[in-house]
Amino acid sequence: MPRILDVGCGPAKYPGSIGLDMNPSTAADVIAHLDKGGVPFRDNSFDQVRAEHIIEHVADIIATMEEFHRVTKPGGTIWLVTPHYTDFSSFRDPTHRWHLNTYSFLYFYPGGMHGRDMWYTRVRMREKKLNVKLLKLWKTLGFEFLVNRSRFFRQFWEHYLSFVIRGKLMEFTFEVIK
Amino acid sequence: MPPRILDIGCGRKKYPGSIGIDLSPAGQADVLCDWTRTLPFRDGSFDEVRLIHIIEEVDNIFRMLGEVHRVARPGARVIIVTPHYTDHASYCSPAHRWHLSSFSLWFFSDRPAEYDYYAPANLRERRVHVELLQLWRLLGFQFLVNHSRRFRRFWEYYLSFVVRGKTVEWELEAVK
Repeated sequence: MPRILDVGCGPAKYPGSIGLDMNPSTAADVIAHLDKGGVPFRDNSFDQVRAEHIIEHVADIIATMEEFHRVTKPGGTIWLVTPHYTDFSSFRDPTHRWHLNTYSFLYFYPGGMHGRDMWYTRVRMREKKLNVKLLKLWKTLGFEFLVNRSRFFRQFWEHYLSFVIRGKLMEFTFEVIK
Repeated sequence: MPPRILDIGCGRKKYPGSIGIDLSPAGQADVLCDWTRTLPFRDGSFDEVRLIHIIEEVDNIFRMLGEVHRVARPGARVIIVTPHYTDHASYCSPAHRWHLSSFSLWFFSDRPAEYDYYAPANLRERRVHVELLQLWRLLGFQFLVNHSRRFRRFWEYYLSFVVRGKTVEWELEAVK
């Protein structure tokens, strides 16, 4: 059975996973604070780390992603869900420190910045899958399909359209490279 | 007895008749201290607490409003003003840590039970008022946004990066 860690699991933990949260009134199996000591597990402990609506809250995204990478097995996956910065939900929670877009994790990709590696972190992962969700109206009009279908269109949307055709959520699946 | 009013981060324009508290001696403050951490007053000391262009700068909004709730007497008014996240003013100052919307304080009034952990202070929303840029106000959008909660939601989701906001003003009630 795959070993799964659900970071910031809240009251609805992912079935079959180990839940981690800082709030004791949740379904968590382990109580820990990501900003104060990271993820309390040994290296290569999990096949998948899941973090739904977590990364926009942490004090240091790079340090937290390094922790997720450390506890994930080589070839394992990190699954993140976070608001797109043009969605209203990005600004509704007074604990959201970061407002992110579909290019916010380029620092971690091999050759992520125009074919070059970035030096902010040594940790590497590959973007295995990215799914962008748009507001209902724009989805109905076919924009969500286009953004997810074509890399070129996604870039055009981020640069030119996204303050009008607003995003909602981003769902990233990263493959851990070690 | 006149109402006891606390003006947090009062600066040079302290609210008339209030006790001003600030970090800097350059303004009109009566009390100098780091109000971002604790407020040096007893529980239930004030009938009104004012935070004008303050919460966008504090380290931890929940802790700050927890302190405000503590020093407010039951039923006291809490007035908060902050830039809307679509206004340029939200990005003018590098001291602004948070970019907020007209729904950013919902945690303090009608929240699910598991959020008690984050925001134990109960501050009930009495009134929210959104100011828009002048052009949009003249075209009637400000009236609509403030007239109907449903329209305000629609505006936040679909329109606010074009029909841009300016400031959000809350009147909350300290429930104890």
